Amino acid sequence: MSNPIVTCRGVTKVFGKGDLAVHALAGVDLDFAPGDFATLAGPSGSGKTTLLNMIGALDTPTAGEVSIAGNRLNDMNKSQLSDLRLTKIGFVFQSLNLIPVLSAVENVEFVLELQHCPAAEQRERAIKVLEQVGLKGMENRRPSAMSGGQQQRVAVARALVTKPAIVLADEPTANLDSKNSSDLMDLMAQLNADLGITFVIGTHDVSVMKRSRRHLEMLDGRISSDTRR
Amino acid sequence: MMKSLKTFTPLAWRNLWRNARRTSITLIVVSVGLWSVLFFNSFMNAWVQSSKDAALDLLLGSGQIHAVGYMDDPNIEALMPPPSAALTAALDDTRITDWTTRIALPGVVVSEYKTLPVTVMGVNPEAEARISSLPGKLVEGRYLDDTDDDGVVLGLHMVERLKTGIGRRVILMSQGIDGAMAERSFDVVGVFDADQATEDFFAFTGLKASQAFLGLDDQIAEIVVVLPDEADVDAEFTRLREAAPDLDARTWKELNLFLASTDSFMGAFIYIWLGVVFSLMAIGIVNTQLMAVFERTQEFGLLRALGMKPRLVLLLVTLESAMLIGAGVLIGAAISALTIWSLQGGIDLSAYALAVEMAQGGNIIYMEYDPGSFVLFSVLIWILGIGVALWPARRASKASPVEAMRYAS
Ligand SMILES: Nc1ncnc2c1ncn2[C@@H]1O[C@H](COP(=O)(O)OP(=O)(O)O)[C@@H](O)[C@H]1O
Ligand SMILES: [Mg+2]
Repeated sequence: MSNPIVTCRGVTKVFGKGDLAVHALAGVDLDFAPGDFATLAGPSGSGKTTLLNMIGALDTPTAGEVSIAGNRLNDMNKSQLSDLRLTKIGFVFQSLNLIPVLSAVENVEFVLELQHCPAAEQRERAIKVLEQVGLKGMENRRPSAMSGGQQQRVAVARALVTKPAIVLADEPTANLDSKNSSDLMDLMAQLNADLGITFVIGTHDVSVMKRSRRHLEMLDGRISSDTRR
Repeated sequence: MMKSLKTFTPLAWRNLWRNARRTSITLIVVSVGLWSVLFFNSFMNAWVQSSKDAALDLLLGSGQIHAVGYMDDPNIEALMPPPSAALTAALDDTRITDWTTRIALPGVVVSEYKTLPVTVMGVNPEAEARISSLPGKLVEGRYLDDTDDDGVVLGLHMVERLKTGIGRRVILMSQGIDGAMAERSFDVVGVFDADQATEDFFAFTGLKASQAFLGLDDQIAEIVVVLPDEADVDAEFTRLREAAPDLDARTWKELNLFLASTDSFMGAFIYIWLGVVFSLMAIGIVNTQLMAVFERTQEFGLLRALGMKPRLVLLLVTLESAMLIGAGVLIGAAISALTIWSLQGGIDLSAYALAVEMAQGGNIIYMEYDPGSFVLFSVLIWILGIGVALWPARRASKASPVEAMRYAS
């Protein structure tokens, strides 16, 4: 197995203090390797989002260590975390993923712009990924003129366009009907298979879990099972 | 930074139109605020100018020359001979519009009913007609004909108080050159209507007639000087002082401290007004922008999650405020220019004549469009506006990237 993209060692996250302290993560040890297509399930409040936040460099642990593509999060300041997210990680959130005043193609270009990619190259790359996610012809639509499923595809396109080490999706299908959920999962599975893109998907949708090649269960801030198939 | 500006400008511009109502409120707040500053500034400048013009035109001139001591105690001992050859040459210079000599001494005017204090003015009617607005303010009878004219011209209010009128006689009394009281009766030939202080204060007669009445040869009390451009007044008076080193030459600013201080007070007042208007505007701007930022917390979280640095978020939101306030400033400046243009015929304040008189103002105010102050106040409001909008923008830049993921719960 090649070097892991993400390593978590004894990761703990505590919110609040004293009697009010919530142990959202209570010691997580976990690796993700390039090409993983993993789902992360568990009851509501079990710590899925908190763990994805750590892996996504959105937050830092209270104790333990997280490394992403060889960068130790614990040592980084906010600006460095921003850069790490920008260059190494793609995100697909549950909803309100897109900038409402930008069209599909502009939303995708936006992250390339943040990376100071030349304008001509931006357009070319953005149009290409939109085609890959099946949105050819929709480039100039604003999010308000697209269905939920189409919006999530734009989010996937935006996550891919920077060629990140890993794409994290937290409940990406929660606002979609079963047909659109299934289509989105097909898309991600295919991108994983064809392009080797690493996905970690937080979900409590059983049909989503079935699609993964690695399945993690969380309970009370711990990984309770880790199965590969 | 420049590159970011270029990318974010269209984004910022579109964000402005997401809440048209709030955008309009801010536009109105800024444009009306700026309008009030620009209009007020222009109006007050015009007002000061018109009261200055009115006062200078009436009797003051651009400045006056007296014997030393006259200003402290204007009496018959403090007169001076007619201007020397050197002073006459200096006064006849083309840089001076006009000048004339006068007698001006304290005395009383007596009618059958009343005795009132007055300043006896002996004038050269021909010259006065050129340099003073007073001969034009006659409402009854005639102005004086020449320096020998021994009729008297009184103010309307004075005539009423004395219960006299055209064709009646009044007695002027003043200290004569021999130290005894000089007195003589004069025909009332004309009545003028000016501000009440002027009406109550002066009685005009011919220069030579007044000199004869007081037992003088050719001594005079003052030389009135009129300049084409007020900006030159200090330089010109320096020149006159050199031509007449033993006399006391003073500019209008030194003669009428009230007028001079109104002039500088109004200049300061506009900044007080600017402060008041700006405070109100700041409250409006901060409120609407904070609201806008709070509504978009989730979105700023998303931007941060995608890897946009806090200072770029700050830049984006500041850019939005800069455009919004800039648009308000442009609208405000345009409305102001339009208002001033539409009033360029002059604002007639004669309906408020009494108040205008009390403030020594002119009756018609001519507003001027002054590009310098337009640019100054517009830029000032714009920069100050962006300054206060930095606070909401900072709030936006502090949005947590975790928000984006947590939205689900
Ligand atoms: N910012 C926070 N402040 C306080 N408690 C939090 C915060 N984020 C998460 N939690 C708590 O941590 C626990 C785990 O939450 P989360 O990771 O969102 O669970 P999941 O995504 O599995 O539903 C929950 O009890 C939640 O209330
Ligand atoms: Mg969650």
